[in-house]
Amino acid sequence: MSDVQTLKDLKKLNEKYEMFNAFCEDGDLGDSKFLFSAKDNLTSSEYETCAGSKILGGYRPVFDATSIANLKQVGGKLVGKTNMDEFGFGTFSTNSAFGVPKNPFDRERSCGGSSGGSACAAAVLDDHLSIGVSTGGSICCPASFCGTYGIVPSYGRVSRYGLIDYGNSLDKIGLLSVDPAKLKEYLPVIAGKDPMDPTSCIQPELKLTGRKMTSVAVPKEAIEGISTDVKNTFLKALEDLKSMGIEVDYVDMPELKYAMPAYYVLATSEASTNLARYVGMRYGQQEGDLTQKFDDYFTSFRSQYFGDEAKRRILLGTYTRMEGFRDRYYAKALQVRMVVIDAYKKMFADHDAVLTPTMPFVSPKFSDISSMSPVESYKADFLTVPANLAGTPHLNCPCGYDGNGMPIGMQFVTDHWNEDQLVTMAMEWDKQFEVRKAEVKV
Amino acid sequence: MKIGLEIHVQLPTKSKMFCSCPTTDAPAPNTHVCPTCLGMPGSRPVLNKEVLVCGIKLAKMLGCSIADTTWFSRKTYFYPDMCKSVQITQYDHPIGVGGVIYLNGKKPIRITRIHLEEDPGKTKRTSDMYALVDYNRSGIPLAEIVTEPDLATPAEAREFLGQLIQDIKHTLDLENSERSIRCDCNISVGKERCEIKNVTGLKNVETALTYEMVRQIKVLKAGGKIERATMNFDETRGITYGARKKEFEADYGYIDEPDLGIYHIKELADSITIKEAPAKMILRMADQYKIEQKMAKQLVSTSTDLAQFFETVAKEYGTENAVKWVAGPVTGNWKAFSARDGAKTDDILAVIGKFVKGKITDTECGIEIKSVMTGIDASAAAQSSEGLDKLINDYLDQNPGIVNDYKKSDKAANRVIGYVMKQTGGQYTSAEIVESTKKLIEARL
Repeated sequence: MSDVQTLKDLKKLNEKYEMFNAFCEDGDLGDSKFLFSAKDNLTSSEYETCAGSKILGGYRPVFDATSIANLKQVGGKLVGKTNMDEFGFGTFSTNSAFGVPKNPFDRERSCGGSSGGSACAAAVLDDHLSIGVSTGGSICCPASFCGTYGIVPSYGRVSRYGLIDYGNSLDKIGLLSVDPAKLKEYLPVIAGKDPMDPTSCIQPELKLTGRKMTSVAVPKEAIEGISTDVKNTFLKALEDLKSMGIEVDYVDMPELKYAMPAYYVLATSEASTNLARYVGMRYGQQEGDLTQKFDDYFTSFRSQYFGDEAKRRILLGTYTRMEGFRDRYYAKALQVRMVVIDAYKKMFADHDAVLTPTMPFVSPKFSDISSMSPVESYKADFLTVPANLAGTPHLNCPCGYDGNGMPIGMQFVTDHWNEDQLVTMAMEWDKQFEVRKAEVKV
Repeated sequence: MKIGLEIHVQLPTKSKMFCSCPTTDAPAPNTHVCPTCLGMPGSRPVLNKEVLVCGIKLAKMLGCSIADTTWFSRKTYFYPDMCKSVQITQYDHPIGVGGVIYLNGKKPIRITRIHLEEDPGKTKRTSDMYALVDYNRSGIPLAEIVTEPDLATPAEAREFLGQLIQDIKHTLDLENSERSIRCDCNISVGKERCEIKNVTGLKNVETALTYEMVRQIKVLKAGGKIERATMNFDETRGITYGARKKEFEADYGYIDEPDLGIYHIKELADSITIKEAPAKMILRMADQYKIEQKMAKQLVSTSTDLAQFFETVAKEYGTENAVKWVAGPVTGNWKAFSARDGAKTDDILAVIGKFVKGKITDTECGIEIKSVMTGIDASAAAQSSEGLDKLINDYLDQNPGIVNDYKKSDKAANRVIGYVMKQTGGQYTSAEIVESTKKLIEARL
């Protein structure tokens, strides 16, 4: 399908899959060389930017996020802002105030989250590139559920200027596409030092040299407690890797289990401070009873416009940084992050990457998701959270399909600043693994 | 009674603390603003390094120890003028800790810490129903200096603050700047303390503290209990009144500011030397030249440039001449001198040199100093000086008792000074009148 045709079909496709919050409706390709979409927590001057939240309803930023501006600079056309869990709070993109994106392989199922709309767009639109954001697994999870490649670069590799923050010390901007060549082509475009984001300014230069992996470590902990389909598919993929000349070693990484609680403490602590600014004045939704005192106004406003998951995480994050609890939770979690980083560094001494399945199960049906408790859905991220906590780059590769044709993915994690081997891995893997295209009828 | 102060100093940077907006006076509300200082979603802070430089200078001035690394924290509170509902400040790793300032060179007032933070915007109430917010101030860099509760009375607090402000202004070259210095005053008469927020000006600090002291004493005398509270100060009525209940420190839920890194400042701190603070200069001069502390203070508080000129003269021609001329007529004409463009202290030095070499007399030297300092030609200066002297002498002739009274107390000179001022109505500076009066009385002793 040509880009012109894609633009024409956007509206119908969106009706069917709800992958966009806002999208290009004029159908005009202009001078652009390629189409891309971006998660709706990245600011864009031509579309509303709501980060999946009602509280930002109607917000039109006055500036473009650096990653979006960089892709435009090389001829990209931003066709839409992709649907997501409110502020990135979720694993299934079901916590959005603007509809729920539907899985391209089965519309009864989730696209994963929180960059669910990005993975959906990458899987549904031809030849597409989508910018996602990962805090605790929000790129690899939906990439796995929707059968696309997804790369999360090192923390600090891509400027976060223009990113509506979830957890600033964890947020990473990355790319999703069914075509790994696109990751290779556009990762260097969005990467690099940006004076508007000081945390991007300490990075060494990104060099994609085509360096191949020769050995991977598979933590035994990662293949316990996962579904049989995922386990079998993953084990088969390991055989394929061996046949590509890659050594596979089983290792112990007991530290991985501490990543989850530490992650939720840090992410919610930071999130609760980031969300404090939404008080119903200055921007976004501003409908409220102005005769009230300020404290009453913003309290009722926040009660009305934040979703349940946002409120839950504000409560959690406020609790973990209170006096008397801060040392026990927040400060402890900072220490645990160092322990997890050390555990990875130990692995990287002898191996190029740590390899696990990406998600413990294939994308669940919406009917099953609605009966999951918050903790059950948090636990679904136990394989994606550790690398996110450590800030190490990682990659989802589609590696098989279950009996219902639902995609299964595996996740490579490499050392800080080593995106090179991930991109090469994706390119090499793609030569011998056929990624299935979802059947999309307009 | 214990009094401790938290002093907020706006730092003299050209741009704001975390964005490139100017810090100068804005033409209208909300014009010196950008996504960062408005806290727009997706914006983020970039530290202005000049803020660290100012912080280090002040930390050195306060005698604080400066750690090798420093970083910022987030303090969460909901207030309409705090656009992110989060203030970027310093919590557990401030730029300086543990200093001391000697009040009048004697009483040690301990400095708990000095940290850097961003100023919020300004809220202006327009009626019972409405308030307007101006974010021009949002993101202006501040240093907050926190003292231990070492001050004993409101008057002492005022005196300390005056000394500190002079030192701060000198250290940061703020002499001619409009930067505001605000103060939160903590006072406890009994056990629990109250904090009076946002008091500006020395007099107001004393008034607010005195009012609050009396209020607390009354409560305690009536058998009541002081509750920890935040008070506001009403400048026009000179009273304090209760504001919101004091939230205890930690309820601000501090976390590390994740958008800014750790700053390794050792090298920077080592490379910065600061000017001698006025308070220290006073003590050193009194000691070094064996002059009264009062005289040293008079010189330094008139201008540190004047004090430095005193040192130049003392070095060239001895302390005696420095006292005779610099503490005398040079001080008297300093204001006029510093207001003139192109006036040089070298010219004054040359005049004094002529006197020392015996080329001109005492009287001539006085006249010439006035002439080079004010730009009035020598004959006019002589005339005007003669006119002044004549007026004083005539008055002393008519009131011979003054000279006798002066032997008991130099306050007797005030009668002459008052008379001459009334007669001449601004023709002479008060310093000139004081100086001539004392000179002529002392000639009659």
